[in-house]
Amino acid sequence: MVAPLYTTDSGLLFHAGKILVITIGLPARGKTHISRALERYLRWMGVKTQVVSLGDYRRKTLGGAQKLPPDFFHLGEKSPETIALRKKISDGCEQQIWEFFKTGQVVIYDANNGTRGVRQTLAEKFHDKGIHVIMLESVCDNKEMIEANIRSVKISSPDYRGWDPDKAVEDYYIRIRDHEENYEPVEEKDWPYIRIINVGEKIMMNNIKGYLQSRIVFFLMNIHNRPRTIYFARSGQSLIEHSYKADSDLSPAGWEYAEKLKEFVVERRAKSLEQRGLKPQDQRLVIWTSTRRRAHHTAWPFLQAAAPSRSGSLSFLNGADTEVSTPVIGTPPGDGRPPLTTHPTSPLNIKVIEKPQMSEINPGVWDGLTPDQARKYYPQDWERFVKDPYSFRAPRAESYHDLSVRIEPILIELEREKEDLLIIAHASVIRCLLAYLIGLPASEIPAIEIARGDLLEVVPASYGVHCQAYHFWDGPGDEAMKPWDANNFYENYAEDTKGKRKGISQEPEASLSLLGAI
Amino acid sequence: MQATGDLAPVVTITSTPSMPNSPNIPPAMFGAGGPMLKRFDESTLASRINSGASSPPPSVKGIGKKVAKPDYSEQKIVVAMVGLPARGKSYLSNKLMIYLRWLEYDVKVFNVGQLRRTKARQKAQKLGVKEVHMADFFSHSNAQATQSRDSLAEESLETLIQWLKEGGNVGIHDATNSTRSRRAKIEARLAKEKGMILIFLESLCDDPATIAANVELKVSQGDPDYKDMSPDAARTDFLRRIKEYEKVYETITEPHLSYLRITNVGEEVSMSRINGYLSSRIAFYLMNLHIRPRNIFFSRHGESKYNVEGKIGGDSLLSPRGMQYAKALPALITDNIGEKPLTVWTSTLKRTIQTAQYLPYTKLTWKSLDELDAGVCDAMTYEEIEQAYPDDYANRDEDKFNYRYRGGESYRDVVVRLEPVIMELERQENILIIGHQAILRCLYAYFHHLPQADLPYIKIPLHTVIKLTPKAYGCDEERYTLPINAVDTHRPKPKTVKPPGTQSSTQRRYFVEDEEDMKAGVVA
Repeated sequence: MVAPLYTTDSGLLFHAGKILVITIGLPARGKTHISRALERYLRWMGVKTQVVSLGDYRRKTLGGAQKLPPDFFHLGEKSPETIALRKKISDGCEQQIWEFFKTGQVVIYDANNGTRGVRQTLAEKFHDKGIHVIMLESVCDNKEMIEANIRSVKISSPDYRGWDPDKAVEDYYIRIRDHEENYEPVEEKDWPYIRIINVGEKIMMNNIKGYLQSRIVFFLMNIHNRPRTIYFARSGQSLIEHSYKADSDLSPAGWEYAEKLKEFVVERRAKSLEQRGLKPQDQRLVIWTSTRRRAHHTAWPFLQAAAPSRSGSLSFLNGADTEVSTPVIGTPPGDGRPPLTTHPTSPLNIKVIEKPQMSEINPGVWDGLTPDQARKYYPQDWERFVKDPYSFRAPRAESYHDLSVRIEPILIELEREKEDLLIIAHASVIRCLLAYLIGLPASEIPAIEIARGDLLEVVPASYGVHCQAYHFWDGPGDEAMKPWDANNFYENYAEDTKGKRKGISQEPEASLSLLGAI
Repeated sequence: MQATGDLAPVVTITSTPSMPNSPNIPPAMFGAGGPMLKRFDESTLASRINSGASSPPPSVKGIGKKVAKPDYSEQKIVVAMVGLPARGKSYLSNKLMIYLRWLEYDVKVFNVGQLRRTKARQKAQKLGVKEVHMADFFSHSNAQATQSRDSLAEESLETLIQWLKEGGNVGIHDATNSTRSRRAKIEARLAKEKGMILIFLESLCDDPATIAANVELKVSQGDPDYKDMSPDAARTDFLRRIKEYEKVYETITEPHLSYLRITNVGEEVSMSRINGYLSSRIAFYLMNLHIRPRNIFFSRHGESKYNVEGKIGGDSLLSPRGMQYAKALPALITDNIGEKPLTVWTSTLKRTIQTAQYLPYTKLTWKSLDELDAGVCDAMTYEEIEQAYPDDYANRDEDKFNYRYRGGESYRDVVVRLEPVIMELERQENILIIGHQAILRCLYAYFHHLPQADLPYIKIPLHTVIKLTPKAYGCDEERYTLPINAVDTHRPKPKTVKPPGTQSSTQRRYFVEDEEDMKAGVVA
């Protein structure tokens, strides 16, 4: 069980103590990626966590690399000014760490810490004050991974503003080379350590114990930084839209939506894969749905497009999840039904997996009620709900908090997944997943707007994620057309509670790019 | 809500004439007699005809559905144990097997000692030759015996590989594998198999008390190796056997191997080159284990009003007799646990919170402990369900574990949802869970290692506290029934089924008694 069980007023897990994670590694080895991912996960668990980045601090206090003395990054004798400057920065960072420990629990110190002496001094300083120190080394021997990291992250940093990209890469390599000569990998066994090779490819550890520590390890074992895209879409409209228990089938409009979704995803994905220089046929798309009918039925057109002429059996795979790989093809569509696209030239390369943890939020006794009815029959509950839509739980219902706990295994699997992913889910589930990916605080989860008819495209990046919404469909059940579907209450908490912040834009055709989690 | 076309009978609740108007009495939506029930039936009928798909997905039939068993055929893992005798290797193998089986992986332990004894017994029966497996047999300098032991280990590995090929997921090779050369042999053998992952799991133990306890277990529980021997003589010999192993033991340090090293059962874990989902799950699980003595108590809530009325689900309050139980519970628990600390876990439903209200301990409510969601059948009696949905009723009886109520859950869904609870239970010490029938059945099945098919029929009566004491090879169980009458909510499986075993399972079994057990891999 994750945090929520242990969330306390102070934000500290009572049995874990304070932890300082010292990152170690040459530049461009994915330290920042790992630090930010860990921070996001721990925060999601309800643990007060902060990344203190030496690079960010330096840039903030001293400005870009141009303003630094030339010997700042280079080896050899350093001038007294440079030594003083470097000390000022590390002291400043340590100051920030102490500051955060007054109320927080975990600090991830994102810096090179490349020599044994430096990290020994640092670790002792904190260890003496009763803080658990963990060394987290990121080793990367994959040249492509390093180069990709430099190009995508490093040269866009303020240090290289206005530089020619190739020149900047060249300069950066020089900077790394100097570090490399000096670098001492973690071999000392004095401190608990975790060594990550090629961002999650392999992992080694020494003397790691404790609950939070074991969670950290479990998380780190499951992350990677391969480029990929995660798409989110809501399930189609169902016949009894406003009831959880009914678990009803898609309405004709829902089927139409499902068909449109398939077309749009295929088209959108072709475009973005082309930009990455890849062929859609070679890249499998994994689709996750819940076990609710409206969700896995929405994936049905994908399955049909995946198996153009075979009529086959169903096969199942993976965890408690059910994978459907080859659908049974039955009678052709008759009159009055939404037109179905004929089979595309090549079958889609997809895999559909149903996940029982991904059902929508359970509305309990409010099932089937409109907001007005809920207000009328349960006035006190309603009042409390409006006050705190994140943690309030109506009788027999789930709160968003409960939902977050329930989908925690999904988050780990989301981190693990290496292929492109389309998540066809319910608004409530998408809200939680998106909040995790972007790094929004829990209290904002119920206010995230997820319109039916939008495809959200999320691309994980080093400092967070890029998130973009594309509107592809208007029709019944699409809240962009009407203010919102009053009947579909539990899918629309947000619209009724007036969110503080608009997570995702509802403008038609793309918009807002969120660079979250910074 | 508007649908395209005129095919769907669109149902809106707002116009329901039968809805009561008085405030604070919410309209009945589903369940027996609710206005939604009929409409809901109509809707599924309509969707079966009118769904726009050229062929309806397979789930468009019936009100509930049975979910196919997941298939893990892609996972092939060999876990090879490493460690001296009496270091809890079999304990870890067993724990891991139970956990992974509970997660529905196909797991089997291949115990080399077992194989050796079985073979020796067969030989004794057939040829009348009695092999002596005294400490000398385990000496490294005894070349003939060493060879014989090596070939046994190899044979057991071959059986394991064959079993994986036939569809198993995780094979646990429970042997000492105490030298580098032995491990290298295993590695070389598995390198020939495609797609099989090898992980070594070393169990170190430097706590004399744990080792002594393990030795005692071996000596006192009738290990056939020490048949007809006094306990003292057996102990002496077993300690000599350990000495023989210690002479050649090499702890695992080979940098190229994937391994997990567990010190004192979970006190400390280190790992190297572990990656992959299942491996990381295994590692995480083992990190959470401990063997400090403790008790786990299960109790259902006191008899509820719905229990009396024969209804399932709901969120009703306790009946008067249920309240009596709640009042009697603290004395029973306190008598049992004494001064030791205890934490009480309840679900979020009223009847468990009410039952726990007089207990003088820290209480936590868990959403994950809520009763199996019966979906549309919530608040109905079994008779009403049978009447309203005869097909589904029959379906459920046929395969209760997999049957998912429409709009609700199956036992399998509950197992998935309880996984974090199990993980947390392994970490904790004394816990009392005030839960529900289906939930406690799942948890009970985990601790007693009962098969899925029997799980939905486990007897967890009302007004009874079940006390589990985890031991090295299973759980001891005691039941305390309070003399407060309650209705019986147990529905036996329609056709005769063998009752699930509820007796103590801590006995170590040294012989695989029959073929059936051999197949099931019961070796502990």
